[in-house]
Amino acid sequence: MRKYLTVFAIDWQNQFIYRLNFVLWRLRNVLRFLMTYFLWRGVFVSNQNVFGYSQANMLTYVFMVLIVQSLVLSSPSSDNIGGEISNGDLSNTLVKPISYLRYWFTRDLSSKLLNLIFAFVEVLILWFIFHPSFQIPANLASLMGFIISCILAIGIYYLVNVCSRLTAFWIPEMTWGLSFIVLVMLEVLAGGIFPLDILPAWAGFLIQLTPFPYLVYYPIAIFIGKITGWKILQIIIQSAIYLIVMYRFTSYIWHKGLKVYGSEGR
Amino acid sequence: MKEFKIWLRYTNNSFQQVLSNRAIVTIFITGKSLRIALFLLFLNFLFKGTTNLAGYSREQIIFFYLSFNLIDTTGQLLFREVYRFGNMVVTGGLDQVLVKPIHPLIRVLLGGADVLDLIMLVILLFLTTWFGTSYISANIYSWISFAALLLNGLIIAAAMHVFILGLTIIFITVNHLIMIYRDLTAMLRIPVDLYVEPLRSLLTFILPLGIMLTFPAKALMGLLSPINIIISFIFSALALFLSLFFWHFSLRYYSSASS
Repeated sequence: MRKYLTVFAIDWQNQFIYRLNFVLWRLRNVLRFLMTYFLWRGVFVSNQNVFGYSQANMLTYVFMVLIVQSLVLSSPSSDNIGGEISNGDLSNTLVKPISYLRYWFTRDLSSKLLNLIFAFVEVLILWFIFHPSFQIPANLASLMGFIISCILAIGIYYLVNVCSRLTAFWIPEMTWGLSFIVLVMLEVLAGGIFPLDILPAWAGFLIQLTPFPYLVYYPIAIFIGKITGWKILQIIIQSAIYLIVMYRFTSYIWHKGLKVYGSEGR
Repeated sequence: MKEFKIWLRYTNNSFQQVLSNRAIVTIFITGKSLRIALFLLFLNFLFKGTTNLAGYSREQIIFFYLSFNLIDTTGQLLFREVYRFGNMVVTGGLDQVLVKPIHPLIRVLLGGADVLDLIMLVILLFLTTWFGTSYISANIYSWISFAALLLNGLIIAAAMHVFILGLTIIFITVNHLIMIYRDLTAMLRIPVDLYVEPLRSLLTFILPLGIMLTFPAKALMGLLSPINIIISFIFSALALFLSLFFWHFSLRYYSSASS
């Protein structure tokens, strides 16, 4: 455990080396937020209630997307794992007494903490600029459900992301691997642009079978009270099952990949 | 003419490089098509909850998105090399471009055309033309204005990419510049009218992205006055001139480090 704490501490410090780079990365998140915010604001100009959402509901949802995405989807591992497998740099870690996947997970956590702090500041600034109605969780169960589902989402996203990058074991020239498709699906099916319950029931059911809604939509739906009571527990159990399945699957792919890994480029 | 032949050679090489791996072609074409299809479905579905968006109908909003993709994809097709420029500056590889007897922008701006975007462009051209003729009421003059403003948008896109090249030389440690541009343009997937002032003016005139991405569709819908069309051409000429000036200015900061 101590070695991972050291990795966390070192990575935390490293993030302050390229400060302008980080600030611009945060700017990108704000730009994405602005499109979604103004799109929904435009919808509510001539409507009081859309798809069962009030303006306060929807704008809270959009603001929470900025926070949840910063927590769940910020992951430097996604930019590095495919490349390290492809150019042989993976060998540097394999010979060390440290788990490669835990090493990157620790670095991701460090990045998430910094991103989360910035996201809170951004939300405060944006709130002061736009003054939207903001909804807070109605009870402790919603708040706890939100926190637990976010923690599970972090794990699910890491494993989905790693899995999509591990294709570099078999196709080294494709360091992006399947992650481009994952990113595209993530854009829409995770609920970053719109809450998924506005879709027809059949579409919602199909999306529920994928890992994407567990990353952004469900945590926020719990936060704003769209999911309540025993349904919160059901979502948390479904997320936990997804996490376990993804963990098993990633371990399997990782070990299969290591058998074909030839450390080319070293 | 010599420059055109060199560009053709660069493009040919770049196309062959990408097409040599069919798995990559399949994955990226699937991903790009999926991205457009999912957002189109979302826009279509959005109108089940509202009758208009900033005064625009469902068909108009969809057409805005299609014409956005047309310009965005053409920009990516032609200027893909900009995405690799940062590495060229960091490693000092730009030296090898600067010493050659052709304009360096032919290599660093146009030297890596992306065949994947060419495939997407053909699909988008067909889709946009079909949708425009079927659902947008427009006469021949509106279509001519649309085509002229699309080309005008491409000139602005070229200017923006040249600015990014210059900024990459000056701010060598920043590696998100082109992605910030992508995120800025992605804001124009919806009409610029949806944004409030002063953001709207900033997006339209300071960073002329509104002129680049929203004006062509507006011209086709007959929502753009002749004076605005003329202003658009003035803006693109100005943007191109300033970007080329900035490019020459930024070269003074190139230190040829690591070469």
